[in-house]
Amino acid sequence: MGQKGFFTDTTLCIGCKACEVACKQWNQLPDDGFQWTAMSYDNTSHLGASTWRHVAFVERSEALPGQGSPRSASPPLAAFGELFPLGQPGPRSLLASNIAPSSVESPTSEAAIEGANSQFSWLMMSDVCKHCARAGCLEACPTGAIIRTEFSSVYIQPDICNGCGYCISACPFGVVDRREDDGRAWKCTLCYDRLKDDMVPACAKSCPTASIQFGEVDELRARAADRVEQLHARGVKDAYLYGADEASQPGTEGLHAFFLLCDKPEVYNLPPDPVVPTKKIADSWWAMASGIAGLGIVAIGAVLSARSTR
Amino acid sequence: MKRVFKNPLSETIPSEDGRNIDPDLDVKVSWDVPLPYRLFEPPPYARSVWTEPLPATEQESPTYYELPMLKEPVWKWYIPAYFYVGGLSGACAVLGASADLLGGPGMVRLSRQCRLIAATGAAASAVLLIADLGRPARFLNMLRVFRPSSPMNIGTWILSTFGACAGLAALPAVLAVPTPLRRLADGAGIGAGVIGLPLTGYTGVLLANTAVPLWQGARRSLPILFSSSGAATAASVLEILGDSDEGAAVTFRFGLIAKATELAMTLLLEREVSVVPRVARPLRSGFSGALWRAAQAAGAASLILSVVGRKRTWTRRAAGVLGAAAALGLRFALFHAGKRSARDPRASFEQQRAGYGASEVVDSKLARTWAEALEEGR
Repeated sequence: MGQKGFFTDTTLCIGCKACEVACKQWNQLPDDGFQWTAMSYDNTSHLGASTWRHVAFVERSEALPGQGSPRSASPPLAAFGELFPLGQPGPRSLLASNIAPSSVESPTSEAAIEGANSQFSWLMMSDVCKHCARAGCLEACPTGAIIRTEFSSVYIQPDICNGCGYCISACPFGVVDRREDDGRAWKCTLCYDRLKDDMVPACAKSCPTASIQFGEVDELRARAADRVEQLHARGVKDAYLYGADEASQPGTEGLHAFFLLCDKPEVYNLPPDPVVPTKKIADSWWAMASGIAGLGIVAIGAVLSARSTR
Repeated sequence: MKRVFKNPLSETIPSEDGRNIDPDLDVKVSWDVPLPYRLFEPPPYARSVWTEPLPATEQESPTYYELPMLKEPVWKWYIPAYFYVGGLSGACAVLGASADLLGGPGMVRLSRQCRLIAATGAAASAVLLIADLGRPARFLNMLRVFRPSSPMNIGTWILSTFGACAGLAALPAVLAVPTPLRRLADGAGIGAGVIGLPLTGYTGVLLANTAVPLWQGARRSLPILFSSSGAATAASVLEILGDSDEGAAVTFRFGLIAKATELAMTLLLEREVSVVPRVARPLRSGFSGALWRAAQAAGAASLILSVVGRKRTWTRRAAGVLGAAAALGLRFALFHAGKRSARDPRASFEQQRAGYGASEVVDSKLARTWAEALEEGR
């Protein structure tokens, strides 16, 4: 079976939300109501009981290195440098290479476009349950409804969950939520039913740009490391992996659904240093032990001292 | 179930095709109406963040459109009410068992009161906990596993055992029972006293074992606060009920230390969470902050009054009422403050950036790796 997971490369995401739709459709999730956030193109705004993929739309007032139009003449755009090696006249259109540059000249000045490009960029990220190697929800679940499957994914068994809500508070990423009319907690299943039949999860299957990649976690890690190197070489120095392994995210011991990001985690609404609450809880049990030992001593002391005064 | 959609003209229109949209919406709403703004209602988890304007200095660190990063705990008032009742009955069982084991004949009434409160409280606790479940009919699923990693599971086992012991212990107080059963009940009373100890404190561990920044940040003081607060509640309720000289002396001494510890623990808790000021904010402002301060004041007043007015019945009762109210206020203040801190994405972000995330507990080599990554702004 092996460890299965997602590598979500946010530099490839175009914000089409095909993953959101495919997830809803395959898993037959109820809608979230038609609400406009009036703040961005993101009208989903968060993962929830009925939203297991959520595309975040980050509007930044700074450019990504390498960003621009392939028609730009100068400076050489790093991201397109491979298409047009230095010293050769590149085509001015991606449609065909034999069109004379003059026939596809932009009617407006390119300088204005480049100016705008350098002050703005989109970051899009398809968020999902991270299927942590050490999962807060799983360790907190009092009924054993949350299990680790043979694919190393984290799965809530709907026939066991009694809706206590503890996993919701225990998740350091705010992924799990309880459905109001149903009373149970829900989250991404990594398409457990599809995996059972050797099929790719619905979101990865539907992603038109391979931003969502599904596979063996080890294989994905290697691929992701290559991709980061490639992006660095092309000038996107900010690219890094979020939660790819235990070394970079010790609090969760690595995510089985990890991300390639180009800005601080907070920008994408991800915690910078998440921790599974159970990692810290020994302190709390010890504090409780000392507290209740004190309580016992005080109770006994009160009784004994009151008795001896008689 | 038929889904309904509330449209901006505030009519409720049942859908006919299973979607929760009003097919005539475009006819009813013209473009003169600023449509998107009318349609949008911030979801409840986001409401306070969206309505509380932030000071300019705090707007510098990035967030995702000020949206919460965590999910707000879904628990309702049943849970803090359970923390209160559970703490009360656990501490009563502890005091009752001590009186049974070591007390003289003058403490019979105290023991009887304690057993009755413990049993009633245990029954009420079960009702409150089951009522809060999303699927109450499945409450027994809590006992299908034994799971040391889940304080809630451990707590369910503690409460179940406690309920059985406390219920049995209270039998002779309400029924005439044969001697063998009375002996069994006395044994169960001791058992309830032993299990009552963790019952008063595990609820603090339960809250601490969450991603909620305030509760996680208070993980060392929460269990002790809850234990001492349970004891203070027990003493306060016993003060209200009243007792003979010897019983009253036990209650007084027990209550004095419990109330003083409770008060001290509230201050320690504030200190513990204040290492990241943003995390402590819900205890310093708003409704939860006011409730927290009021509870502290009531606790202090109760402590003073129980010392000063020890000899008079009405002052003793007033001290009891104040003490009981203080403990209830503390539970609800911490509950609401936790919900608020979960809604505030910067509370989590700043806590983790300040080194109180995973880097607080993971081994030094990994922490160093992470610290280097933090340096680079990753």
